Amino acid sequence: MVALQQFDDNPCRPRHFKPPPCVPVVPDGPARQALDGSRARLLAIGAAFVVVFAVIALRAGEVALFGTGTARTPIARQHRSAPPAPMRADIVDRNGKLLATMLDSPSLYANPRQILDAAEATRRLLTALPDLDGAQVLAKLTSGKGFVWLKRHLTPQQEYAVNQLGIPGLQFEHEERRVYPYGALTSHVVGYTGIDNEGFAGVERGLDRVLNGRSEPLQLSLDIRLQYILHEELQRVVDDFTAKGGDGLIMDVNTGEILAMVSLPDFDPAHPGAPDPAHPEISPAERMFNRVTLGDYEIGSVFKIFTTAMGLDSGATTMTGTFDATHPIRIGRFTISDYHGKHRVESVPEILMYSSNIGEAKIALAVGAQRQQDYLRRLGLLSPPSIEIEEVGKPHFPARWREVSVMTIGFGHGISETPLQVAAAGAALVNGGVLRPTTLVKLPSGYAPQGRQVISPKTSEEMRKLLRLVVEYGTGEMVGAKGYVVGGKTGTADKVVGRHYAERKLLSSFLGVFPMNDPKYLVLAMVDEPHPNKASHGYATAGWTAAPAVGRVIERIAPLLGVPPVDESSPQIEHALMVESLQGKHIEAY
Amino acid sequence: MIKLATLFWLVLVTASGLAMFAVKYQVQSLDDRLGDTKKAVAAQERELRVLGAEWAYLNRPAALADMNRRFLSLTPIATKQLQTGVADIAMRPPPPPEPEPAPPPVVAAATPAPDTAAAAPLSGARLPGSGLPVTPASLEKPGREPAAPPAKSLDELIARIAAVR
Repeated sequence: MVALQQFDDNPCRPRHFKPPPCVPVVPDGPARQALDGSRARLLAIGAAFVVVFAVIALRAGEVALFGTGTARTPIARQHRSAPPAPMRADIVDRNGKLLATMLDSPSLYANPRQILDAAEATRRLLTALPDLDGAQVLAKLTSGKGFVWLKRHLTPQQEYAVNQLGIPGLQFEHEERRVYPYGALTSHVVGYTGIDNEGFAGVERGLDRVLNGRSEPLQLSLDIRLQYILHEELQRVVDDFTAKGGDGLIMDVNTGEILAMVSLPDFDPAHPGAPDPAHPEISPAERMFNRVTLGDYEIGSVFKIFTTAMGLDSGATTMTGTFDATHPIRIGRFTISDYHGKHRVESVPEILMYSSNIGEAKIALAVGAQRQQDYLRRLGLLSPPSIEIEEVGKPHFPARWREVSVMTIGFGHGISETPLQVAAAGAALVNGGVLRPTTLVKLPSGYAPQGRQVISPKTSEEMRKLLRLVVEYGTGEMVGAKGYVVGGKTGTADKVVGRHYAERKLLSSFLGVFPMNDPKYLVLAMVDEPHPNKASHGYATAGWTAAPAVGRVIERIAPLLGVPPVDESSPQIEHALMVESLQGKHIEAY
Repeated sequence: MIKLATLFWLVLVTASGLAMFAVKYQVQSLDDRLGDTKKAVAAQERELRVLGAEWAYLNRPAALADMNRRFLSLTPIATKQLQTGVADIAMRPPPPPEPEPAPPPVVAAATPAPDTAAAAPLSGARLPGSGLPVTPASLEKPGREPAAPPAKSLDELIARIAAVR
């Protein structure tokens, strides 16, 4: 280039001479080398640009022509006003009824440094929120801190009233609060949460992690209609017999789902620790105690179904086997006698039917200590029950399984169980012998969890017949519920107070199953310390308290569960539940 | 020539610039609307949750039972009121024999005036046993044959109703 200019600018250049226009005169030497070098560099840079632009063009074409998800998501994600997901999933019953939900509930806080006149602010705030403690509020507002909570979880009306005051330095924090529309009705199952919505009891606590991590509602196996019926009927028994408490559950014997679970007295999950205004003498701790899962009781005669079942299943006895129940058994300082005694030789069906302690003690002896423990362990009666909630009690049984223990456990004393595990084991006796884990979460329709065969299907069939017999002719006659082929077993136990059995403190229970020809549902009711009344002719035993309650529950829930009433005297049902060994014999009805 | 090309590019740049600004502002306003809509949706969802909770609260079985006591006095279904099949329902007992009512005065009229038809004594179906006409006047054509004897069984009754339809 320099050379060319030199050439052109030469004043002495002849006019006719013109260098060829486009041929640069390139001198040799270092200049030429520099020129070659830059050309190569230019080419490389140009190539790089071509590649980059080609990529951009291709990508632009792809985005424009085909659209793409990857380009869109980050923009959507950073969008400032996406609706916040609820902090905790709703809980619904098996029909989708709302048991627990999150509602908006603003909380009031103050920045004391911004408060101009603390005394004036306190005075005016108390007009809007009269339940606040004035001295406390004043102390908070003069504390000089940058942040103090004044009141958590206000109602919309309270929020409006505080806003109307227009006090500077008061602010609302958006918060959500757990609300239980059914209140005390589901208190022990659903449980309750703390002020920061962390689960404190029931399903709220047991499934806390599940509830925090999902947006769709959690569906429980509970049916609120059955829950209400069970609650109402239990409350009626507790009131009628001025009992200390009561509990009960309804369970699907073929799946292990709990359809209703009630423990009385109960509490308001919105104010768990508050005393009951109607009964201030009952302590909050007692009301929050879940008798079904946490309480363990010597249930007495209901336990005889397990002894009879293990007697039949182990081959220690048969349906035609007999035991002498003429005389009470004396062993050590104990005397085992009968309450409804017939004082004669009784067959196995009769022993269960008349609830003979002597007979069951002898069956237990025939089974033997080792097999008795094995059967109880297989039925889940020697370990805590399995359920989603954490308030579970542990069964209590003697560490040394002596002969007297074998006998007393045979009729349900000297061993304490939670009602939940009694129900689960009872369901296994009638459903064909399969013990399934009990659950509070709804199972898919038609699905039954894997169970464990604990007794043979044949023994299970015999147990159905025996339980039907108890209701037809034995101690469970007061059940009623004609048409639903109810079977079951009563249990009246003297409560242990301190180290002794208290004579007049009873625990009356009834375990009922229906329909007995094809067991579907189990209803368990337990009444704690019922007192005899006039209508019961001075009785407070299970036959007069728990059994009629279960009967009333069954009569009301069967139509809801789609169990049709049948003619109990029809030949098919009579034949299906016939106890052959008693045919032709005179049954001393009771 | 060069000027023409420059002009072309200039116009193109201006046009695309304008278009870009237009699109940018459009997107911005759409974005605002989207934000507003999302806020409104969230507010509506919160309101729905409140309404859902209120609905559950008002439909508590205890509240329904209380309202039933006050307004309806319904009682639980007794077991004997439940039947598994239609066939289990007993038939109504046959009506006692009664004299045939006088023939209606407008039997011959093929298309009687509506008011005459309504006023005419009915010869249609009667509720067995009660003797009262059950078919509304407007549905029953006058001049049809008198009611057949009560059905012997439910199947027969259903078949008869189907035949009439």
